[in-house]
Amino acid sequence: MNPLQNTHVDRRQFLTAGATTLAGLTAMPGWAASGVPTQVRGNAEHVISIWLGGGMSQIDTFDPKKKGNPEKQKPGAYYDAIPTAVKDVTVCEHLPKLASLMDRITAVRTVNHSVIDEHAAATNWMHVGRPVSGTVVYPSLGSIVSHERGALSDSAPPYVLIGYPNNSRGPGFLGAQHSYLYLTDTGRGPTGLARHLTISQQRQTEREQLIKSIRDVQPEVTEKVLQDYAAAADLSLRLSGPSFMRSFQLESEAAELRESYGGEFGQRCLLARRLVERGVRFIEVSHNLNFLNGAGWDVHNRGILDQHKLIHELDDALSTLIQDLEQRKLLDKTLIVVSTEFGRPPQFDGGGGRGHQGSAFTCVLAGGGLNHVGAFGETNELSQSIVADPVSVPDLFATIHAALGIDYAKSLYDGDRPVPITDRGQPITKLFG
Amino acid sequence: MNLTRYCLTRFATLVVFGSLLISTTYAEEDTAALWEFGPEEATPLHPVGGIHRDVPGPRPPMFPDFPVNNTAVNFDGQGSRFVFDDSGDGSPFDFQNGDEITLEAWVNIRELNDGDHTYIIGKGRTGRSGFSSDNQNWALRVRGMQGEARVSFLFATLPRKPKDQHWHRYTSIQGFRPRTGWHHIAVVYRFGEPETIQTWIDGNRVRGQWDIGGPTTATPATDNDQIWIGSALGGSPSNSFRGGLDSVAIHRVMLDKDTLEKRFHRVGGHPQEAALTSQMPKLGPLSPLETSVTFHENMPSHTRWLYTDESLPPAAASWSGSAFLLNQIPVKFDSWGIRDSWKAPVLVRMAADVSLPPGNHTVLMRSRGLARTWIDGELVAQSKPLTGAPHGEEPITPISAPPAPGHRPTWHRCQEVMGYIEITDSKPVRVVLDAIAGGKSFRPEPGELTLAIRLEGSQQFTVLRPAGLSQSLLPLTDEAVEQELQQIEASFTSLNDVTRRAAAKSQDAYWNTRRQAAETWLAANPAPKVPGATPGTNPIDAFLLARLQEVASNTPQTSDAKEHHFFEKVLPILKSECFRCHGEKDKGGLSLQSRELAMAGGFSGEPAIVPGDPHASTLIARLRTDDADTRMPPTGKPLSEEKIKILDKWIADGAKWPEQQSATSTTTQAPLVSDTDFIRRAYLDTVGVIPTESEVERFLADTSPHKRTELIDRLLEDPRWADHWMGYWLDLLAENPAMINASLNSTGPFRWYLYDSLRDNKPMDRMASELLMMRGSAYDGGSAGFALAAQNDSPFAAKGHIVGNAFLGIEMQCARCHDSPYHSTTQEDLYSLAAMFARKPVTVPKSSTVPPGFFAKKERESLIEVTLKPGQKVKPVWPFAETTGAHDDDTIEPLMHNPDDSRERLATLITAPQNTRFAQVMVNRVWRRLIGAGIVEPPHDWEGNSPSHPELLQWLGKEFVASHYDMKAITRMIMNSQLYQREAVGHNRDAEPGQRLFTAPDRRRLSAEQIVDSFYLATGREMDVEPMTLDPDGRAASRSRNAYGDPHRSWMFVSISNERDRPSLTLPRAAAVVEVLTAFGWTADRQAPKTDRETAPNVLQPAVMANSTLTVSLTKAAYQSPLAELALEAESPESLLETLFLRFVNRLPDQAEKDLLLDRLQTGFAERMVPADEVVVPEAPERLPQVTWWNHVRNEANTIQQELAHRVRQGPPADPRLEQSWRLRYEDVVWSIVNLPEFVWVP
Repeated sequence: MNPLQNTHVDRRQFLTAGATTLAGLTAMPGWAASGVPTQVRGNAEHVISIWLGGGMSQIDTFDPKKKGNPEKQKPGAYYDAIPTAVKDVTVCEHLPKLASLMDRITAVRTVNHSVIDEHAAATNWMHVGRPVSGTVVYPSLGSIVSHERGALSDSAPPYVLIGYPNNSRGPGFLGAQHSYLYLTDTGRGPTGLARHLTISQQRQTEREQLIKSIRDVQPEVTEKVLQDYAAAADLSLRLSGPSFMRSFQLESEAAELRESYGGEFGQRCLLARRLVERGVRFIEVSHNLNFLNGAGWDVHNRGILDQHKLIHELDDALSTLIQDLEQRKLLDKTLIVVSTEFGRPPQFDGGGGRGHQGSAFTCVLAGGGLNHVGAFGETNELSQSIVADPVSVPDLFATIHAALGIDYAKSLYDGDRPVPITDRGQPITKLFG
Repeated sequence: MNLTRYCLTRFATLVVFGSLLISTTYAEEDTAALWEFGPEEATPLHPVGGIHRDVPGPRPPMFPDFPVNNTAVNFDGQGSRFVFDDSGDGSPFDFQNGDEITLEAWVNIRELNDGDHTYIIGKGRTGRSGFSSDNQNWALRVRGMQGEARVSFLFATLPRKPKDQHWHRYTSIQGFRPRTGWHHIAVVYRFGEPETIQTWIDGNRVRGQWDIGGPTTATPATDNDQIWIGSALGGSPSNSFRGGLDSVAIHRVMLDKDTLEKRFHRVGGHPQEAALTSQMPKLGPLSPLETSVTFHENMPSHTRWLYTDESLPPAAASWSGSAFLLNQIPVKFDSWGIRDSWKAPVLVRMAADVSLPPGNHTVLMRSRGLARTWIDGELVAQSKPLTGAPHGEEPITPISAPPAPGHRPTWHRCQEVMGYIEITDSKPVRVVLDAIAGGKSFRPEPGELTLAIRLEGSQQFTVLRPAGLSQSLLPLTDEAVEQELQQIEASFTSLNDVTRRAAAKSQDAYWNTRRQAAETWLAANPAPKVPGATPGTNPIDAFLLARLQEVASNTPQTSDAKEHHFFEKVLPILKSECFRCHGEKDKGGLSLQSRELAMAGGFSGEPAIVPGDPHASTLIARLRTDDADTRMPPTGKPLSEEKIKILDKWIADGAKWPEQQSATSTTTQAPLVSDTDFIRRAYLDTVGVIPTESEVERFLADTSPHKRTELIDRLLEDPRWADHWMGYWLDLLAENPAMINASLNSTGPFRWYLYDSLRDNKPMDRMASELLMMRGSAYDGGSAGFALAAQNDSPFAAKGHIVGNAFLGIEMQCARCHDSPYHSTTQEDLYSLAAMFARKPVTVPKSSTVPPGFFAKKERESLIEVTLKPGQKVKPVWPFAETTGAHDDDTIEPLMHNPDDSRERLATLITAPQNTRFAQVMVNRVWRRLIGAGIVEPPHDWEGNSPSHPELLQWLGKEFVASHYDMKAITRMIMNSQLYQREAVGHNRDAEPGQRLFTAPDRRRLSAEQIVDSFYLATGREMDVEPMTLDPDGRAASRSRNAYGDPHRSWMFVSISNERDRPSLTLPRAAAVVEVLTAFGWTADRQAPKTDRETAPNVLQPAVMANSTLTVSLTKAAYQSPLAELALEAESPESLLETLFLRFVNRLPDQAEKDLLLDRLQTGFAERMVPADEVVVPEAPERLPQVTWWNHVRNEANTIQQELAHRVRQGPPADPRLEQSWRLRYEDVVWSIVNLPEFVWVP
């Protein structure tokens, strides 16, 4: 923990008090009354961020409405709704397992932003929490959390991505040390760190011995940059050693549990749990493997025909993850976030699928020690516009920061330049306290 | 107008149409209007766009009812039309329920695509303001369907409810083929009675159907909008009629069957579709040694050949090859030699006389799109036009079998057509291949155009060659074809170079006047004198030495520890943490530039420093406080306790502030580097890769005393100079092209503009000017691509930021939204630059400001000020006269082509010699790259950062002007200095300017590109990755899906970011290279300009050098790889080890290294070769179908790319000629050498 954070509330209160005395001199009218609100904060230690690339259809999952008919171009949900463990909260029929766990979950149904036409831009927005700027490359949520909270252990990196690398997931101005290690194959460690699959363990060991002995006979370096590089080389050998790499041995888990997690996506979630145990702070798990329906969650045209398979896969993996974490007493310490670049409209396209919708869509929070309410925010009868409790992307980010005890009103610094950690987001206070 | 035919007989409307309603031999009842487009006519029709009058209309003998000189009118589409004003309410063009209408016309359709609805005549739906968008009163149209023209009637009704379907369309279900001469069409209807509708073609009633809106009895829309002939919807091209019209009429009656049947009277049979050219073109004599190729742009369509009445556009370029094989077209350049776009479709015409023996032979033609081949006048092969595809949904195209075993198969979606030819005598025959490359919405790429032949009795296809080269067979095998393609590539590179340089010459005269102006300016503003120059001393060393002597003479004989402490520890803290506000600026009235000022304090009246009493010094209190209101510095991290203690102790000790700065850095110059270190350093700094083994050996053996200078000269001539500089410029100018959609501040690929400029060693003032002029094609590599900034609501403000950064050392990052807190630049400065680019005032967008709430929440006085409001307009004004020395006055105008152009004015003000800042920023950048630290630090932000050697900087700036802004001249000067050639043990970059003595260069790490490119070079392998595109089959225009070529150097990669997370959108081979590049700080996602990449070592760097797929593959003794050949040919383990060291680290191994490594090679050395009869040659893996953007949503696309990724991870097959256990040890040795830290550090 950053020692400064313990004193944070006190300092803020002090400032507020001070402001009342200064108010007469400098402050704007009403300043003292509005004051600086006391921050809400949770005690979560980790984030597992599940990314549903392509744009999860909220109306077909966590924000069900009356059914439509693609043949007749009648707008509405694709599937029936079912009741859940939380009164008055329903989800689609293909989420039966999560339905029974909705008291550990909050489907935030009123997330919204203004990009709909471009996946890359919306993906960027949902990773960095704001639109593109021409002058600043913003850090991703994972990099911010890595920057604010660091790793929990010397032998674990703070931020691991299970999916393809891209700039939106990167550290922006926070610098490479807050970037991710990534892997696309759960059976192996992060790309670069892990032993290459064509090099046997024995050969790798021999190589490491060889390089150590050759480095030993090199002239000693006195320049700091060269020493730093040598130190990084030592650390890389350490991280590629067995202690951290054991996390990737999923085969050491009980077969029943592995099966319950499901396919490759489920195995990624299982790996995420193991990385939490190892001390990784932030894990992003990408779900968009495309094999079930080709398009992943981007269900235009025929892509929607097999959408239910994706939903089932999510149901299996996420419900198992929640229960597995709970059983290991990790659920309250681990905030699960399910997010996506945008939602989808209730109308059907010419091919019977759906286009994009940014005006209202759902992201899901689970665990993390929050007071879950099943669902938060209300959309209209077609899940197309927001009726109550809008949650902006900065609000969603502020909620995540707050859950981790991160000051969501602070600024980060791009050199001299202060950049608010979110675009003035306010957490969903109902989930705290 | 044809005066003799039918016309109007009666009515009130006669007044209105007096000018066009003429007596006639026969007439219809109730004709409202008739246009016959005769030669003498003076109608009130108002022509818009491309209309050609007096073209031949239907005439005898084919149409005997018409006069022999009958004329018509021709529309060329693209919105051309006649416009006729309605006369107002109750006009004869208004129809209510119960009113009858007949619309008729003679049409000669030249061009009609399926899906087009082209207007013959209509009222309403013009798209004019003041009229509803759904006001189609009535319209006669022709619809393209299944290759036919069908007659269609369209009108709107008044909607009863808002969502009512109120468009009604009736279309005939029969039609006629376009381009079959004149036809008569008509529609007959009584409004409100849908069953009365009739469509007529050529005097026959044809059936039709209500295909939109259904039959209706609703009231038709009526208003006073215009009547348009030939177009609608504001002139939409797909609604514009292309072809001839005659006798267009509107009747207020349903013409009867008899009348309509008689309308069409044609003598003779049904005409054939107007003939497409089909004859082999006559081309005159051709060289027997060449395949002549010409390129003709702006063809009318990619789907058809020219009609006989169309003429071939003249050749825009030509080239000659040595076979009927071609996979590219030349680059197009504008009149300055900047890349431009071809006007696709482009016809590629290949021709040669070919010797063929008598016999019945098989011809094989390959082409991406429409192509045909004639041999001796006979058409022998034809392929189909290129077609588009739905995004992602195209079925996977199965791989095609080769035409014969061992032959090169056709590539993805390339057509292969077989034809036959009988040759009867042995004279050479003329062969012509015409192919269409690209189209209006396709990139102009020909695919792999191939013409091959299998002679009677043979099993083998060979690519045709001209008669004079027929002895040199070109078999249709991968090996032979790829070799030929390499020659073609080289030939096109030189053709493009020649074309570009010739075009660029057009600007030489202008630049000569600039050179003369620069010389005049230099004469009036001479450079500072080189201090104490003795002949033979490099001036740089002379300046450095003078400074060293000055420092030495100021250094007291006895070193004062406190003084040292002040300059070494205290002053740097004040400078880095305080001076940006309390140095030259005095925020809050406080300056800390001297002891006296610090003791005087600011507006508060409290002294910042009370010597001897840190507790009474507000400086310390403000540094230590937790109060966000008063803490200093106000932004960023609080000062570390360690730094505060240094200041605390200094104040406690009396806050001594020595006047003279004495030398605290070492004044001892580092020794010169050895030849082995020098050659490696020199190669990396000029061509961006390490030298080869033989280059090192040759240099070491050279005994010339001038060999370093000679090597520098040689390297500066190497064309790889351009490759070396590319990464730097791409970062600095934030080049960021997109592989999928324009997004995230993406730009065009102006990399090609930069690359061409560097290849031509364009003087820097010219290169910068032409960049800023943003010319040529934005998507095909012109400097116009620099202008783009996707999803940026003020692209030119973004460019202003980049330009300030790159060329002027002015940092305006903050000025996008508010005045800079730590700089003197304002938001207005930035937007003034933006306006100069835009050539008009620009508006500050809403997003580029600070929300008012920001200020309301702050307790302390804000550091930032917003002086422009969103929505405010800022005029084009040059804001940096004082900073740069370039004043926007009448000294500038003589340097310009067009003084009225604010963009050119900006370019000139930046690059004119008066702008001393520009020249100095450029030389400082070169210096920084070579020495590791700038004379000014950082290079992109000079404000408040003084030069360490002001006179040297001035001198270099003027040398640069005198050299005609030649980057190589400055590089040559610096590389020949002793400074450059010293051991890299300097610490200049972090030193204060006064302490930056340049007694040695700083240590530099290889850039990511240098590491990867050197790795390839040392292993002797060529980069073999996917072309940089997701549309390799060229089925989109470059603005929507572009192709950035086959990378052979690291700078050529573009971002392979896969935001959609789809395996099908990965490029696995490229990803393996990008992984290593990224670990070392490279990125192709360049949202903002960058001078410095991160250089801090991180754990992934040594990790990827050790474990990445790229390392494992490149260090493998792969089948037929150079490393395998080296091992096979090695004379001894010793020589093999030496070779490896020379190749990778350009030195010989020392004894300790030999002791560790040699025995691994010695063991089994003699037996390392597998006996020839035991060698099992690895089989090439089965080909995989091609995944592209167009089929990537198919499930199979994912599995294919995953299989490919798996193959990439497996790496190439090992060389079976090497015994395995020895080979593994050998690879381990190679691996350990490349993992020596020195591989990634510049010596």
